[in-house]
Amino acid sequence: MDSQFLVSLLMILVTFGLYIGIAVYNMARQTSDFYVAGRNVPAVFNGMAIGADWMSAASFIGLAGTVMLLGYDGLAYIMGWTGGYLLLTFLLAPQLRKSGRYTVPEFIGDRYSSSTARLIAAVATIIISFTYSIGQLSGSGVVIGRLLEVHTAVGTIIGVVLIAFYSALGGMKGITWTQVAQYLVLIIAYLIPVIFMSLQLTNNPIPWMSYGQIVGELQQLDAQLGISEYVVPFTEATKWQFLALMFTLMAGTAGLPHVIVRFYTVSTMKAARWSGAWALLFIGLLYLSAPAYAAFSRFILMTQVAGSSIADLPAWTASWVNTGSLSVADTNADGILQWEEIVISNDIVVMATPEIANLGIFVIGLMAAGAMAAALSTAGGLMIAISAALSQDIYYRSINPEATESQRLLVGRASIIIATVAAGLVALNPPGAITQIVAWAFALASGTFFPALILGVWWKRANGPGVIAGMLIGLSVTLTYIFAAKYGGFTILGIIDTGAGVFGAAAAIIAIIVVSLATKAPSKEIQEEVMDLRYPEGMTYKDGEVWRTDPAEKKRPDH
Amino acid sequence: MRKIDKREADSYFRIRTILITIYLLIGFTASFVVVFFAEQLSEFSFNGMPFHYFMGAQGAILIFIILLFTNAIINDRIDKKFGLDQDEKE
Repeated sequence: MDSQFLVSLLMILVTFGLYIGIAVYNMARQTSDFYVAGRNVPAVFNGMAIGADWMSAASFIGLAGTVMLLGYDGLAYIMGWTGGYLLLTFLLAPQLRKSGRYTVPEFIGDRYSSSTARLIAAVATIIISFTYSIGQLSGSGVVIGRLLEVHTAVGTIIGVVLIAFYSALGGMKGITWTQVAQYLVLIIAYLIPVIFMSLQLTNNPIPWMSYGQIVGELQQLDAQLGISEYVVPFTEATKWQFLALMFTLMAGTAGLPHVIVRFYTVSTMKAARWSGAWALLFIGLLYLSAPAYAAFSRFILMTQVAGSSIADLPAWTASWVNTGSLSVADTNADGILQWEEIVISNDIVVMATPEIANLGIFVIGLMAAGAMAAALSTAGGLMIAISAALSQDIYYRSINPEATESQRLLVGRASIIIATVAAGLVALNPPGAITQIVAWAFALASGTFFPALILGVWWKRANGPGVIAGMLIGLSVTLTYIFAAKYGGFTILGIIDTGAGVFGAAAAIIAIIVVSLATKAPSKEIQEEVMDLRYPEGMTYKDGEVWRTDPAEKKRPDH
Repeated sequence: MRKIDKREADSYFRIRTILITIYLLIGFTASFVVVFFAEQLSEFSFNGMPFHYFMGAQGAILIFIILLFTNAIINDRIDKKFGLDQDEKE
């Protein structure tokens, strides 16, 4: 047991103690509290909670490595995952807030007055959130396993116990404040190493201003080696794949149930707009830093690791070689390690950075705590989305409408535990790379919820049969394209499985429009409710007239 | 609850829609249009890197953040102008 192990363990335990302490302190008592935190979370903190929800193991651990390995082509993830907040905040969040519903399936069910649509939406919520959480749990397993020096599977089981414990105990309220703490831990953990690396390499403590210089030097190094340059676009895939992936990630962001549900935790449309703005600022801090990580790490690898004698590599390489994520084979047997001979997994770039830059055991421990915060906070939000879909939309609305509040709460808590354990079991032997699984979840969201919500809010003529056809067709097209591209080698314009959302969304939008127009228009009541979403909260649309409501009369639908 | 002129309510909706359309067009240009012309835009540099790379790694994100805050601030002003100030308790 070395000092690194003890320090990492201590950092993780202290931060976990903090999260659980907050969850217990805020132990939820009522349904409305459990799911949406009583709708009184200030916008700045809600923005941080959205940030923690949002930035998963894939963002924290995988993104910088993806940019480092793909060069310019990796930036599709950065633009896609941030640009989605424009669609969400401009086109959906304030309107969904005004609708006063608690969950995405509930909104779809009521807006399209169809319990079939609500059931499909609930099932889609569960599929998307479950897929996404498998990636988080296996990510937390890797981190816990590596740091506690136990098998990855044991690490995954530890993660499952923690998530199940505090999600079921605190509900959304516990999670909201827990996630504020998690955001702070993960952003500090992410920024400290990149600032130190910037100081080491450029004597400039501001990585965002200094890494351009390193990018320039990387171009020269690439040119000397005669390999394709770091900044040259579309070397890994076609331009169409870049655009399709970017669209899929943007539309998926606007359709992810566990992110949208965050916008119900604010009290007004105004707070929804501010929450979205703060969220993107807090998220942007990490996303602006990821390309700096990528450039610095690649530069160190090219200048300090490549070119050194194979017998004399830095000490940190050995431990990562043992995990199988780094390979430094001297294939041409000249005793010198060439750049081409380094094969690095994109998942270790961020985790290995403190070791590469020699930042000491406390920073390494902090990185571990930050990575765990990223994985657990996202998994926690996903579990709430699954639990709300099961207990509210399936159990209460479809199976047992007589259920009391305590029965629903019980079903909600039980479903969190079952879903966490089930996702943990799959995560013991994950079906693909973490980033791949996450990208599929985005493609599914952009093929189902994105069209259903956008048209539901902005087109009053969209009706129940239309949305049922749209979600089913969108889901099938997306799934078919993912499988055809991944296993059948079928592609259109070079668009691979991660860009599948563009076809799913297009098919779903066409289906909703065509089927809606071919069937009966929605009832006058529904059309009025959609018209009402156009106006701010102080105005109510009724019978072709607009009424002004005083804040005191403001009344939300009861549940 | 009192009735108000529908034209007033509709002018609120129209202003909001126009603004959102402008914001989305700017966001679309910063991301999709720049990517589409990436090869041509790599000719000159900004902040030490080729322009297309700068836009992907920094420019687009900054523009997105500015757009969201601009929207929040301007919308608060519009609300005030229409007398729709929401109580500050949140």
